[in-house]
Amino acid sequence: METMVTKVVQIILSPILALVVGVFFLGLARKIMARIHWRYGPPLIQPVIDMIRLFYQKGVSHGAVFDLGIILSLAGSIVVVLFLPFGRICPLSSSGGLLVILYLMLLAPLGMALSGGQAANPNVSIGISRKLILSLGYEVPLLLVLLAVMTRYKTISIVEVVNAQQSTGWSIVSWQLFLSGISYFLILPAILGIRPFDVSSAPQEISSGPAVEYGGKYLALATIEHAFALFIGIALFVNLFLAGATNPVIFFVKMLVVFVLGLFIHAVYPRFRIEQAIKYLWKWPTLLAFVGLIVALITRN
Amino acid sequence: MDRNQITKWLKEPAKMANKYSLHAIYFCTGCGIIEVPPVITARWDAERFGVIPVATPRQANLFLITGYVSVKTLRPIIRTYEQMYEPKYTVGFGSCPINGGMYWDSYNTIKHLDKYIPIDGWIAGCMPRPEAIFIAVTHLWTLIDKGMANGHVRYRENYEFYRRNQEMALGKLDWPPLYQIDSKSEEAKRE
Repeated sequence: METMVTKVVQIILSPILALVVGVFFLGLARKIMARIHWRYGPPLIQPVIDMIRLFYQKGVSHGAVFDLGIILSLAGSIVVVLFLPFGRICPLSSSGGLLVILYLMLLAPLGMALSGGQAANPNVSIGISRKLILSLGYEVPLLLVLLAVMTRYKTISIVEVVNAQQSTGWSIVSWQLFLSGISYFLILPAILGIRPFDVSSAPQEISSGPAVEYGGKYLALATIEHAFALFIGIALFVNLFLAGATNPVIFFVKMLVVFVLGLFIHAVYPRFRIEQAIKYLWKWPTLLAFVGLIVALITRN
Repeated sequence: MDRNQITKWLKEPAKMANKYSLHAIYFCTGCGIIEVPPVITARWDAERFGVIPVATPRQANLFLITGYVSVKTLRPIIRTYEQMYEPKYTVGFGSCPINGGMYWDSYNTIKHLDKYIPIDGWIAGCMPRPEAIFIAVTHLWTLIDKGMANGHVRYRENYEFYRRNQEMALGKLDWPPLYQIDSKSEEAKRE
């Protein structure tokens, strides 16, 4: 009974925590970008103000799939969050593992594609095709990296990966998984959709891509989904390579460091074209991840 | 944020959020494209006022029309304005949208933009300095506070007037009316 109650509390608590962290990251991103540009920047709670405004605005629906697709993508993100340990908070730790996360991570872009496709705007179709091509680009090295981690620790459970690292040290500084960790960090901007890989949401080229027809509460839900996506991409890296954490505060600090490093890349690089992005993603990160997988296979015992 | 704003936030969250989150879409038809980039980038930093440029009218609630409006660009201006979600605010930037400015006797510019779409505020000058956009934004805050920035309400109430003017300038419009026009009352007015 005791464990049941804590589990229910955790299932409610962990998406809320993830949302708070993600929205904080969105605000922090705008502030840090402003300071890098030598500007003062918006207040830290600017995304919250935007979201309140958007929820009060009237939106126009483009059909049932337009409404349901965005809810599907949001639900997919929330379910992934339930499988990711946040410090010791991990409501669905006993089931699933890395394979489930890998499958469920596809739900969010799929829902966005369904929803945006209903709006029949040419910019949306270009954005979605770019997004799917980009995910084709980063899924290959991501799968190799996850295979290397699973081979190294002989488990598919993300909680056991974290626990093993608590005793043996961070896996990114261990020589068996060093190459895989570097490879994951190289594809992290593509997973988060920040520069130089923001091809799908390029505001100057295709009018912010899949979000072009979103306004009002649809845009607010899309922003929340973006916050969850930020959380998932970084939390997966922290769990797999930076040893997770025993309490949420240390976990949050680790996420913050990774996110700010990503922001620096975001601030100084221009945008790739889509074929340049694919060429990059299938060259260096894939090569590193492949060598890393071989190293992990050889040193398994 | 100072303390007496918190009660305002609790009382009227929609109004306060509308004030501090103005997502702008810039329609730089003629001149004015030189003045806007310094405002949104490092020199004058509009983002500290909550003003950021967005790429589509669906996400925007501030419509900034800079420079003269030719008859040809009036059509996309109307389409853009009608695609924005309510509440939405419009600001005319420069002398030409107000009364034609130096194009007062030109054959192919629109002299009074507020005959075609409702305008909540004007920035006079040829050209105004970029700081004028911030003065406009702070004025717009006051107007939103007092409930006087009601262009979208005026557009809905006087839609016949605006639609008739649009048709006079552009000929037959190839999009359906945004709001229902009561045909009987229109005929009565014409007689």
